[in-house]
Amino acid sequence: MATIIVQPSGAEIFISPDDTVLAGLQKAGYAYTVGCRRGGCGICKVDVLDGSFTYNRTVADSVITATERTDGTCLSCRAVPDEDLTIQMRDASLRLVNPLLGQLNAKARERARAASNAPEEQ
Amino acid sequence: MGIMRMGYAHVRVTDMTEAKNHYGSTMGLYETLEDVSPEGNKRVFYKGWDEWDHHSVVLEEGGVGVVKYGWKAQHEADIEAIENKAKTFGLTVERMSAGENPEVGDGIRFTTTSDHVFEVFHSQTAIGTEVGTHNPDPFPRHLVGIGVPALDHSLITCEDPKLMEKLLMDVFDFYPTERIQTSLEDDHELAGTWLTSNNQIHQMAVIGGPQGKLHHFAFRLDDWSQVGHAADLLTMDDVAVDVTPTRHGITRGQTTYFFDPSGNRNEVFGGGYLAFPDRPTNVWTVDQIGKGIFYHSRELNERFTSVLT
Ligand code: FES
Ligand SMILES: [Fe+2]
Repeated sequence: MATIIVQPSGAEIFISPDDTVLAGLQKAGYAYTVGCRRGGCGICKVDVLDGSFTYNRTVADSVITATERTDGTCLSCRAVPDEDLTIQMRDASLRLVNPLLGQLNAKARERARAASNAPEEQ
Repeated sequence: MGIMRMGYAHVRVTDMTEAKNHYGSTMGLYETLEDVSPEGNKRVFYKGWDEWDHHSVVLEEGGVGVVKYGWKAQHEADIEAIENKAKTFGLTVERMSAGENPEVGDGIRFTTTSDHVFEVFHSQTAIGTEVGTHNPDPFPRHLVGIGVPALDHSLITCEDPKLMEKLLMDVFDFYPTERIQTSLEDDHELAGTWLTSNNQIHQMAVIGGPQGKLHHFAFRLDDWSQVGHAADLLTMDDVAVDVTPTRHGITRGQTTYFFDPSGNRNEVFGGGYLAFPDRPTNVWTVDQIGKGIFYHSRELNERFTSVLT
């Protein structure tokens, strides 16, 4: 399991394997400014402070420049976390627009954590 | 008569396999050619079922956004007339020879003041519509997906919409059917303009924004029921929808906006009233822009002016 920690609020969001950062945050009830959700417009960029991710599709050089590929810029609609990620929102702050989904996400994360900490059964 | 219509929109896609799935299976365009560009990029050419020329959409692999637009002139002699008007306007015009675009004849090419590449041509290899001309049925028996009949128009952005409007009027003899202005006074600023050369309500629209960008290109449908049916299919195919079916105050057209798998915005556009050059231009003031663009919600969503490719 991977957790996304969102700065500056410090919100912790559990994300399912293969989900993009955007899909994970949306499924957990959060919203922020996004556009095409298909990697073309660049509006969903966030900054990764810690952790690594992989783009699940080819991303155009006009959307993510050569510099942005190494400076922590993350196109959130195409980025799948490799491990826990700490991200920082840019202009658009993350809003919890659906608290019910937020609660369900917190429970799912607790369950997943409990499962991964449980001693292996013989 | 000069320019008859937007002959083709040539756009970039990041992944050709996904793009073909969208434009072929979801939109229902007919693939007419697959090749590799001189630069080594995969290309796929498409036409709608009710189009007779070889192609109206060209996809090129690598990047996103628009490569260029092709405009079809009615007469061979129109090309030279347009070339002269373009030069008078102050544009640099180059000749384009037959075959530079597969199945497209001689023409001209220039970069607009909006930093978009326009080509003007008179002939494209005629393939014929999918229903033919001999006692034709009203539509093909086995359409795929939405089954769009034809390319309709495009909306682009640039820093100076007023100058781009002048270019389209001076060089292409287009006229504006609708405009968005900061006021009704003479010293207004032009925020957007919708232009055509004939009875089609718009062939090209321009709004203020960054140079050289694509807002969307649109396919033609008849009416509400077709737009609603198209939106159903977009959901079935998990297409990223931008705006669910609504009406544009501007043009009165019925619409839904969505994104192709590379993030280029598409539209299916139904209806719209008949345009005439002597009909007074509709003017929307910026305070009513929400109603002008999305007549029902009456507000611009946060993506309308910011999400471009
Ligand atoms: S939302 Fe358009 S690139 Fe992510
Ligand atoms: Fe449109």
